[in-house]
Amino acid sequence: MKVVTLRSDALAESEPLSGKPASAMIHIDRVSQRFQTSGRQSHLALSDISLTIDDGAFVSILGPSGCGKSTLLYIVGGFVSPSDGVARVKGKAITGPGPDRGPVFQEFALFPWKNVLGNVMYGLRQQGVKHSEAEAKSRKLLEMVGLKGYENFYPKELSGGMKQRVAIARTLAYNPAVLLMDEPFGALDAHTRTRLQNDLLNIWERDRKTVLFVTHSVEEAVFLSDKVVVMTRSPGRIKVVVDIDLPRPRKRAELLLDARYQKYVVDIEKLIDDTGEDEIHA
Amino acid sequence: MITPRALLQKSAPLLACIGLLCAWQVASLLLNTESFPTALEAIRAVPSILGDKESLVNIGASIRRMAIGLSLAVVFAIPLGLLMGRIKGVASFFNPLLMVIYPVPKAALMPIIMLWLGVGDVSKTLVIFLGVSLPIIYHSFQGGKAVEEKMLWSGAAMGLSSAQRMFRIVLPAALPEILTGCRTGLVLALITMVTSEMIARQSGAGNILFNALDMAQYDTVFAMIMIIGALGIFLDAAFEKLRGSLVRWSKPQHDIPLSFS
Amino acid sequence: MSATVNKALLGITPIALFIALWQSLISFGYAPVTLLPPPGAVFLRLGQQLFTSDFLHEIAATLFRLFAGFAIAVVLGVVIGLAAAISPAINAVVKPVVRVLAPIPKVALYPALLLILGFDHASKITLVAADALFPILLSTYYGASMVEQKLIWSAMAAGTPRAQILFKVVLPAAMPSILTGCRIGLVISCIVVFLAEMITSTDGLGHMLVQAARTFQTVDMFVPLITISMLGLILNSLLHGLRTYLLRGFPEV
Repeated sequence: MKVVTLRSDALAESEPLSGKPASAMIHIDRVSQRFQTSGRQSHLALSDISLTIDDGAFVSILGPSGCGKSTLLYIVGGFVSPSDGVARVKGKAITGPGPDRGPVFQEFALFPWKNVLGNVMYGLRQQGVKHSEAEAKSRKLLEMVGLKGYENFYPKELSGGMKQRVAIARTLAYNPAVLLMDEPFGALDAHTRTRLQNDLLNIWERDRKTVLFVTHSVEEAVFLSDKVVVMTRSPGRIKVVVDIDLPRPRKRAELLLDARYQKYVVDIEKLIDDTGEDEIHA
Repeated sequence: MITPRALLQKSAPLLACIGLLCAWQVASLLLNTESFPTALEAIRAVPSILGDKESLVNIGASIRRMAIGLSLAVVFAIPLGLLMGRIKGVASFFNPLLMVIYPVPKAALMPIIMLWLGVGDVSKTLVIFLGVSLPIIYHSFQGGKAVEEKMLWSGAAMGLSSAQRMFRIVLPAALPEILTGCRTGLVLALITMVTSEMIARQSGAGNILFNALDMAQYDTVFAMIMIIGALGIFLDAAFEKLRGSLVRWSKPQHDIPLSFS
Repeated sequence: MSATVNKALLGITPIALFIALWQSLISFGYAPVTLLPPPGAVFLRLGQQLFTSDFLHEIAATLFRLFAGFAIAVVLGVVIGLAAAISPAINAVVKPVVRVLAPIPKVALYPALLLILGFDHASKITLVAADALFPILLSTYYGASMVEQKLIWSAMAAGTPRAQILFKVVLPAAMPSILTGCRIGLVISCIVVFLAEMITSTDGLGHMLVQAARTFQTVDMFVPLITISMLGLILNSLLHGLRTYLLRGFPEV
């Protein structure tokens, strides 16, 4: 495996478990994922992935489609159990989904039978929060994501961008320590996408949750993240981890003109192109 | 090379048949009444029905009426359904009428139609035709409506006339849905056939059933039920084979007929 | 607004034409009144009978059997369909059995039901339930097995225990499909209850038709037919209202 280091140290080969820093939120230890395809054949989607994500870090996973980046996120979510290796959150092995890790999917996955308020309240009610309290908190969250006045709408009545705002509010409601975002803005048009990126960044800079963010947009990853994990395809491996050393709070208008930002984008795009070639020659 | 798992999967319906027959056998032994023969007794009575020339002619006539009624319905209902699907005016013209006659049991028209057309083949075939048409119209309508508009635009751009578009684009595109309707129609044709014969009580498979009931030949009743049931299962399986080869490009949505009316 | 009016007018036209054709067949002497009673006479008789206790008794008998059979079919269909969708073991048993039983014309079982359950309500209710069961069971099964994985994941991540996923996510998400099955099942119930009453019964709308046919009272033959058609329409629109309410959040199909 070729490890390219840009400015900062690569995190791909993470330190052994015992020496794990206290601030590690997620620790992925030699995880592999094999899927049964037809008959006795199997497909290796992820191969020997090790990665540590610090508490409060915004980490993006980038890679060509089919590189298993979503699968990695599902493993951290506890939705899929790995064929090999262990994923830990706060030092505890992940055995299933839990409210400490909140997912946001590209498909929104809102409950169509509940209105906007009902969707956001769902997790709180599930945690045993009283109805009135859950409602007050959900209304506040909806205001924060810019959906005040839409409480009684049903998801089908909202645009894609608004649906995703509801989905983000629904997940933030039960206050997970980690946000797992699976190409959350992939289904949105360019304009909506930009606005949601800005808003997500604003929300995140307020409470600095740990975020694992899967995307195939290099600009999006660089704009949002502290670290960008670049993966190769078939089988999915970590090619390099790039530290994004840009000041925060980030302002889109300033960043787009910033030569450092531009260089990150160009360098990472080159890396991804290389992984494409690897795949052809493999 | 067939794996044991695949073999089990292939033979599952057969195992289900055997299981159901066993359940029947046990139930009848437990109930132990004269009017509920065991599965074995009923199976033993099957050859005597199929060996009897008159019964065979009766059943054959039933199947012929069913085939004619179903074919007529297919010829009439598919074009109507597709037109309804493609032309809004046609749809709003026919939909309310169809909604009114939908919940009318078609076999219940038997006594009235018999008054007009007598007890012969014409009445029974007409009833089957009426019973089968509605689901085929409905599914053809749905199929025609769902045809992608852009596919038709592409066709028009290639110079197809509207009639050509109907035959070369709408018909094949709607075919999976149409065939779903035909499958429902097939099951329904059998139901209507048996019911109309039960009501008219003059000839056919349904008549054999009720004659045996009247004469307290209980094993014949159950044997006849098995024959009709087997006919239903066989026709459905045969149709599935046909459909599989006709619309190989379309994923089978349901492996069991979903709607029955 | 005027578009809906136009559409409604267009829709009433064939029904009006149908009745006009019916009337003209008699007026122009193509059909003797003894074979085809004029529509006016039929609707008049229906209006006269509608509030007689005898007629209401027949309707009540039919409705009782219809609802009892339909209710059994809904409960069994939804329970078995959900169970088959979530448990591979149950699925392995249910699927082949349904595959065998679904294409059998259930009405052929009616003589057997008469022999086992007698000539009273039980055999008719069972026949209705047997016929309405399969569309409800199958659409529940398909609806429940096609619930989007990510809805379930979202609920689990929000802290829903595995045991509650069935009621909190799978059942509501499969509701559109279940209600489609129920609509089909309801129409089938209408049809089957009428047919069963025609074949053997001492009361009910189907029995009225057979009674009238025996005595060649053509007007009285049409009355139960129109009544069952109206009942079907009313029940269907009630179910449609329920559906619109329950599925208010779901996108139109």
